[in-house]
Amino acid sequence: MTRVIDARGVAKDYPYGGEAVHALRGVDLGVDAGEWISIVGPSGCGKSSLLNLLAGIDAPSSGTVELLGRPLHALREAERSRLRLREVGFVFQRFHLLAVLTAQENVELPMSEAGIGRAERRGRARELLEFVGLGHRVKHRPPHLSGGEQQRVAIARALANRPRVLFADEPTGELDRRTGEEILALFQRVNAEGTTMVMVTHDPGVAARAERTVEMADGLVVRDSGAKGGS
Amino acid sequence: MLTLLAVAAALGGGLPQMLVERRLAEAVPLHVGDTVSVRPLASGAALRPFVVAGVFERPADPSRISRNEFEVRLHLPDLQAMLPATDRVDRFAVVLAPGADPSPAARWIAGVAFGTAVFGSRDLAEESSSTFRVVSRFHHAIGIVTILASGIFLLCVMTIRVDERRRDMATLRLVGVSRATVFRAIVLEAIAIAVLGSAAGAGVGIVGARIVNAYYAHVYDTTLRFALVTPRIVLLAALLGLGLGAAAGALAAWRVVNVPPQRLGER
Repeated sequence: MTRVIDARGVAKDYPYGGEAVHALRGVDLGVDAGEWISIVGPSGCGKSSLLNLLAGIDAPSSGTVELLGRPLHALREAERSRLRLREVGFVFQRFHLLAVLTAQENVELPMSEAGIGRAERRGRARELLEFVGLGHRVKHRPPHLSGGEQQRVAIARALANRPRVLFADEPTGELDRRTGEEILALFQRVNAEGTTMVMVTHDPGVAARAERTVEMADGLVVRDSGAKGGS
Repeated sequence: MLTLLAVAAALGGGLPQMLVERRLAEAVPLHVGDTVSVRPLASGAALRPFVVAGVFERPADPSRISRNEFEVRLHLPDLQAMLPATDRVDRFAVVLAPGADPSPAARWIAGVAFGTAVFGSRDLAEESSSTFRVVSRFHHAIGIVTILASGIFLLCVMTIRVDERRRDMATLRLVGVSRATVFRAIVLEAIAIAVLGSAAGAGVGIVGARIVNAYYAHVYDTTLRFALVTPRIVLLAALLGLGLGAAAGALAAWRVVNVPPQRLGER
C-alpha cells in the first residue's frame, strides 16, 4: 500500500491570553491510499486541528506531516494552497459554499483557479452534480438548496480537481439522520472509486461507517483500530 | 464715464455709430438703428447723438460681476471728441493679432508716447486676480480634504465589505484559491467601486455645475461660468479613483490575506 499521509510527532499550540494552549501533543498517524478513516473524540480533543494539519490548511508547531510525499511542514503557504487545490478535497461541516454563485459555479470554482478551460470545467461540474444527485439543481444558489443538497454541492466541489485525498470535518454535523446517511453513502461511493478519505466526527455511528477509527483525547491519539499491533 | 440721456426712434442717417452691450440694450431697451444722445458725466458738454449699430455681449469678467455698470463702444475719434482734453487718456488697450509677441508692441507704444507704462494682459490679470488666487487655493484645500475623506470612506467601505465576507474568503482559501488571487480580487473590486464612484461623482459635478451656472447667470445676468467640470478634472477624478481604489483595496485585502484560512470564518 502507498502511504498517502504520514504524520510524526505532530504538535500544535495556539497562543491564548499570553499562554500556549496545546491542541495536539505529539500525534503519529499514517494513512494508506484508498483507506477511509474516521477521527473521533470529544469536543476540544484536537481532531479538527489534526485534520487541518493533515490537509495542509495549517502548519504544525512541531513534528512533520507528509501528504502525498510532500513535506507540508516545510512548504510555504502558497505551495500548501496549490497542493490543497490540486490534490486535496475538503468538505466542511457548514458547507462553505459561496451564496452568490450557483451550484454549478461553486463546483467550477476550484477548477477555474486550477486553470481548467471553461467548457471542460462546465462539463465536469455537471457530471459531478449528476454524481451527487443534483443534476436538476445546477442553476440553484445555495440559499435555495436544503442542507443535504448544499453538502452534496460541497462534495461535488471537493471532487472537482480529482483529488487523491478527501478530508471531511463533521460532514453530517448540520444534517438530520436520514440526510446524513445519504451523505455517508455518497462518501462510500467516492471511497470505492479509490479516493482516500479522512473524516472527523464526534458521532460514533458515523465513525463506524469508516473502515478504520482513530480515537483522540486531550490532543493525543488514544486508540487506532488500524494500527499495526496497536489497540 | 458717459451718460445716455435720450433715446429717439430710428433716425440713423449720417450719425456716428456706437455698440451697446446686451444688458443695456435689454434694460433701456435699445435696438439696432435707434438713436441715443450721449455726454460725458464729468463735464457739461453738449449731448451728441449716436446711432446704435449693434449689440454685443460683454466678455465675462469675474472682477466686474458685482458692479452694476453698462458698457458702450464708440469709434476712437468720436470718443476723443467727447473728452475734455482730446489728447489725454488715462488708459487704453491694444489688441494684437493672436500669437503676436507683445514686447515689441509695448516698446513701440512706450517710444511713441513718452511716460506710458505698458502692461501685458497676463501681468494685469495676475495683479488684479490675487483675490481669485486665494479663492482658488481655498478650493484646492477643499478638494484635498474631500479626496482624503473619500479615500478614508472608501477604505472603510472596503474593510466592511471584506469583513462581511470573511467566510467567503475563508472558503476560497480553504479550497486552495491562493492568497494572491484573493488579494487581486479584492483590489479589483475596490478599483471598480472607486472608478464607478468617480464616474458618478463627475456626473453629479457636471449636473451640479450646470445648475449653479444657470442660477448665477440668472442672478447676475452674465455669461460667466461659476463652476467648471473640464475633461482634465474628469480624468483627474478617474485617476484618483483608480489610485485610491487600489490603495484602499490593497489595505483591506492585506488584512484579510494575512489571517490563516481556518481562522477567517471566526468573528
